Amino acid sequence: MSQPLKCSLCEEAATVHLSQVVHSKVTKVHLCEACAQKGGATDPAVFQLADALTSAVMAAPAITCPKCGFTDIDFRKRGRLGCPSCWEVFGDVLGGLLTKVQHEPEHVGRAPAGILPSGQLRRRLEAARREMEQAVTSEDFEVAARLRDEISALEQQLTPS
Amino acid sequence: MSVQDILDAESELTHLLGAQQAVVLSTRIRLARNLDGLPFPGWAKVPQRKEIAERCVDALTELPKFRRGHVLRMTELQDRERAVLVERHLVSKELASGKSGAAVISRDQTCSVMINEEDHLRIQVVKAGWHLRGTWHIAEQLDDDLGGRLKMAFSERLGYLTACPTNVGTGLRASAMVHLPGLCLAGHMDKVSRALNQDGLAVRGWLGEGTEAAGNIFQISNQQTLGLSEDAILKHLGGWIKNVVEQEWNARRKLAKDEGERFSDRLARSFGLLRHARLLTSAESMNMLSHLRLACDMGCLPEGHRHIVDRLMIEGQPAHVQVRAGEELDSDGRDCRRATLVREALRDFPEVTAPTA
Repeated sequence: MSQPLKCSLCEEAATVHLSQVVHSKVTKVHLCEACAQKGGATDPAVFQLADALTSAVMAAPAITCPKCGFTDIDFRKRGRLGCPSCWEVFGDVLGGLLTKVQHEPEHVGRAPAGILPSGQLRRRLEAARREMEQAVTSEDFEVAARLRDEISALEQQLTPS
Repeated sequence: MSVQDILDAESELTHLLGAQQAVVLSTRIRLARNLDGLPFPGWAKVPQRKEIAERCVDALTELPKFRRGHVLRMTELQDRERAVLVERHLVSKELASGKSGAAVISRDQTCSVMINEEDHLRIQVVKAGWHLRGTWHIAEQLDDDLGGRLKMAFSERLGYLTACPTNVGTGLRASAMVHLPGLCLAGHMDKVSRALNQDGLAVRGWLGEGTEAAGNIFQISNQQTLGLSEDAILKHLGGWIKNVVEQEWNARRKLAKDEGERFSDRLARSFGLLRHARLLTSAESMNMLSHLRLACDMGCLPEGHRHIVDRLMIEGQPAHVQVRAGEELDSDGRDCRRATLVREALRDFPEVTAPTA
């Protein structure tokens, strides 16, 4: 007799079976009733998440967060992390998952007041330098001058005071 | 301050005359935030959750927005009081069923912050009608004010750190509650839902995740929170809502034209039923009220009556009826109270006429 399927998110027996077909690729997710209800089995994000969780975490070795004691097994069961530090500890596992459930794996939004969103500033600085080179090549000196001012302002902001 | 005060107050969604619009019932912004250096609520020990709750409540009650507001700890409330908060979308089912959750709610009920839900803080702002930018600016201001008082968990590369990978980055969930009877009656809703899903938007029922779409009401929200700026997320949702509203109007006009007298007959029958029924179940009243709202939008009933329909949709929900009654009611008892509430509210409504919109 075959083994009953286990829930992709916890160890319970799966009773909800989902299949998704995207460009003729079939993905299957099995959930227990509790996880299906909790996650909303009709929600495509949950679908992607369940799929990413099983494939990403199954392959990873056991990791424990030194700050809160959370392990990759806990993550597989809960689909939630233990504390803010877990994001660094589980970086490799989460990286793959984020590319599946999110738009891009890097933040481009707001930062708390007082914290310099330096990642974004640095990215903008690199882009502005490239744009200035192009402007100089095409002898568009008005644009080049504007970019030069922006670059020096960005450099100033990125210098630790 | 108690749940009874919340019920009795004139709130944004139930009493703000003139704010109600056709199709979009309300706009909502949610931001997920966590305190730096403390475990997320689902993994924190009881004393840590207490500490989190105290620090968050202290910071929130200092803000001008929450002056004379409500601080509600879930353990201090009765089951049906918690259910009222869920029905009003002030707290989630998850927060209501947990043991260490609290909510801080502004006096006008436009801002509510859930504490110790999946994340330490879930900042929510809601406005009646479609006001994406205005709602966002209130949330942004709250976030800045709170960020000045509490150190939030933030990473340069990943943005605001959250318990679940589906919220990391901006922590922003922007949504519109939309009433789509035209698309539902025309049988186009599955198609619309699929198109939205494929472009990164989630479509849910009236009470959020995993709920049925009672009264042809759907919640449409962004899925992705990382790798897109807040502005890009709002633009993407805004563009789609505009599109859905247009499609809804096209469907309504086509129905009104194709069906002729049958169109107003359907709405008039629902009105007659609501106006005279002695027992009304929650599902039945939601579906009939949906027809009434459609009648107000289409000019079959005066547009100025729309806010009464919206208020009945909120106040006719089971826990609302129960708490208003002030005594334990069985299912017939609730259906009877609900029917009375609706009958009285509709007493001065005129006859349903042919559509003008």
